[in-house]
Amino acid sequence: MFKEKNLNRQPIVGLFVVLFLTFFILSGIFVQAQDAVTLTLIHPWSGAEWEQFEPVIKEAETALGIKIEARAIRSEDLVTLLPTQWPAGTAPGDVIFLTVPSLILKGAEEGHVMDVTDVVNPGDFVPGSVGYVTAENGKVFAAPFAEGVKPGFWYRKSFFQKNGLKEPTTWTEFIDLLKAIQEIEGIKAAIGSGNGTGWPLSDVTEHFLVAFGGPQLLNELASGNKSEETWSLVEAIFKGWLAKLIGDGYFSEPIEWTTAQDMWWNGDFGLFFMGNWLTAMVEDPSDLGIFPIPGTKGITGAIDFLTASAYTEHPEETKALLEWLSTEGQKVRVKFGGTVSTYRSVPLDLYPPAEKMLAAKTSEMEPLFDLDDVIGGEFQTTFWDQLKLLWVKPEKVDDVLEVIHDAYLEAF
Amino acid sequence: MVSLFKNTFIEKRTIVLKKKITRLSFLLPTLILLAIFILYPAISTLYLSLVTPSGNIDPISNYEDVFGRREIINTKGISQGFEFPLGALLHNLLWIIIHLPITTFLGLILAILLRDVKGNAVIKSIIFLGMVIPMIVGGLIVRFMFDKYVGIIPSFLNIFGVIPKNWTIYPETALFSMILGSIWLWTGFSMILYSAGLSTIPQSYYEAAKVDGASPMRIFFSITLPMLKPITTVVITMTVLWELKIFDLVYVATMGGPGGSSNVLALQMYLYAFRQYNFTRASVVATILMLITMLVAIPMIKSSKGEERS
Repeated sequence: MFKEKNLNRQPIVGLFVVLFLTFFILSGIFVQAQDAVTLTLIHPWSGAEWEQFEPVIKEAETALGIKIEARAIRSEDLVTLLPTQWPAGTAPGDVIFLTVPSLILKGAEEGHVMDVTDVVNPGDFVPGSVGYVTAENGKVFAAPFAEGVKPGFWYRKSFFQKNGLKEPTTWTEFIDLLKAIQEIEGIKAAIGSGNGTGWPLSDVTEHFLVAFGGPQLLNELASGNKSEETWSLVEAIFKGWLAKLIGDGYFSEPIEWTTAQDMWWNGDFGLFFMGNWLTAMVEDPSDLGIFPIPGTKGITGAIDFLTASAYTEHPEETKALLEWLSTEGQKVRVKFGGTVSTYRSVPLDLYPPAEKMLAAKTSEMEPLFDLDDVIGGEFQTTFWDQLKLLWVKPEKVDDVLEVIHDAYLEAF
Repeated sequence: MVSLFKNTFIEKRTIVLKKKITRLSFLLPTLILLAIFILYPAISTLYLSLVTPSGNIDPISNYEDVFGRREIINTKGISQGFEFPLGALLHNLLWIIIHLPITTFLGLILAILLRDVKGNAVIKSIIFLGMVIPMIVGGLIVRFMFDKYVGIIPSFLNIFGVIPKNWTIYPETALFSMILGSIWLWTGFSMILYSAGLSTIPQSYYEAAKVDGASPMRIFFSITLPMLKPITTVVITMTVLWELKIFDLVYVATMGGPGGSSNVLALQMYLYAFRQYNFTRASVVATILMLITMLVAIPMIKSSKGEERS
């Protein structure tokens, strides 16, 4: 009888324990949910670039008292993802990095991107940067984060010293340099051509457009100038310089850019055109040298803009995160190299030596926005795709120009 | 007597009606889902392809616009001696012309060769691996398979004196590299189907043929091949459908480039919709794909119905 009584009590005791534990756990979750706001941050970085950005997130969490869930989605994928998610009233994150101003303004017009005029002061950032994401009514819809500039051709100082080479100061010297590099034993091509979705090739192309057409040409193209004169200049640069160099074999065939970077570092190529994030991706940044095509007066760059989703459940915290990242966040970011701040209050001594060298070389150049990023849409896809063709078939430059021109005209 | 007959007749009709209602009620959820997720989008897409962006119904201009675009049919490339790009429509056609006979024939041969081989289950599983790999991964593998420096294909051809090159970046080889890669990915499908089909052929047919003195070739053409006709119909139909809707492999391997020389209809439809935001053009391509698919699928359905009846 005693055993029976105990057996009857056990389930009741067990039930109380389970209920108590459940209540305890649930209350803990409920308290936690109330205390820590979690925001989702969409960024485009992985590998070494992610390692440079991760500390920024940790500092933001400490400074703002929030939790940040970071997810990587490439900018090229967001261009297709956002227009499909926005009409459904959703977005992949609360704060989203985007490099295409036209998409940001389109999203703003349709109500998918928050107005952040109250947290972004254009005067705090490099001139013109906020202007790209300001609507006609003066409202600001994104904040600039760091900028990747495409300054010119990188080389290893040790390679140049070993082979008695020096930076060119004229176009003729540049060609002589290419010839000299091409003749070095073990060199596969004078210039390594990085490839990806297409943007490293477009960076080289825009550098040629700026070098021979001046910053004015790129500004005209970005604003939709359809004049015959402008396009004739583009054709002349393509045929007279870019396609000619490719045809003469100075550029390698397109190789996935991180592979091309490794090959250049290991001596397969003499020069490598890449953005300044390269400084944080090489073993020894002090061995880096850089020069643009002699006489270049402008420097293209792509700004990573921070946008706040209109579909966030925490609008105030989202704006606070956006504001912090665009200001204090940049001070944290620049220490790791590979980027240039758009926030003017970032002191020069925070930058690693390679960035200081870059800043000295490019200080007199007019900053310009990446052309295919500014125009975006089908033009960007076509531009990238046709340049991949030009690189392997430079003799098809006429066909390539015709297709690019059609896409350009359709874009405007 | 008459009333008894009448009651029996009414009872029978009631039972039949009840059976029909029961069948319909079980089918109804599926029919509703089909209507919402397949029929409605298909009809909407068809309607969108017939309406201009300004809202007028003008199917001719929409279809003319799409067929006149170089990314669908590149008349310049065709007139220059079939120089790539030829246009997505012709690229898909080429894919079918090359891929279909090779995978069908290869699958059949492998099924026959491996029929009585020891450990054939393991070998077949290895060949079938291509089918279970996601096409996104398949596209990456194809890219590396044809890479100049690390690719197995250029390295193999180098043995015969062919200078290695990166197949996926040149317009004349980009499409062919993906077609060849997709042969490896898809052959497992036809092999498995043929293996199953071979096991259904009665051994007595082969024994009788041997007794009659028939040669292996004669046995193959007179017994094996005719008995595998239903399987062949399925293999051909499913392969063509797969070739028409190929997207992910191309997206990852080349993104349709360089210069559109490896573009396919499904990818172009995606680019129209989600890069250009031109849903009219995308709908036209989708409708074209749907019509071609129906042209292929309907004979197969009819053929399988005929087989059932016989």
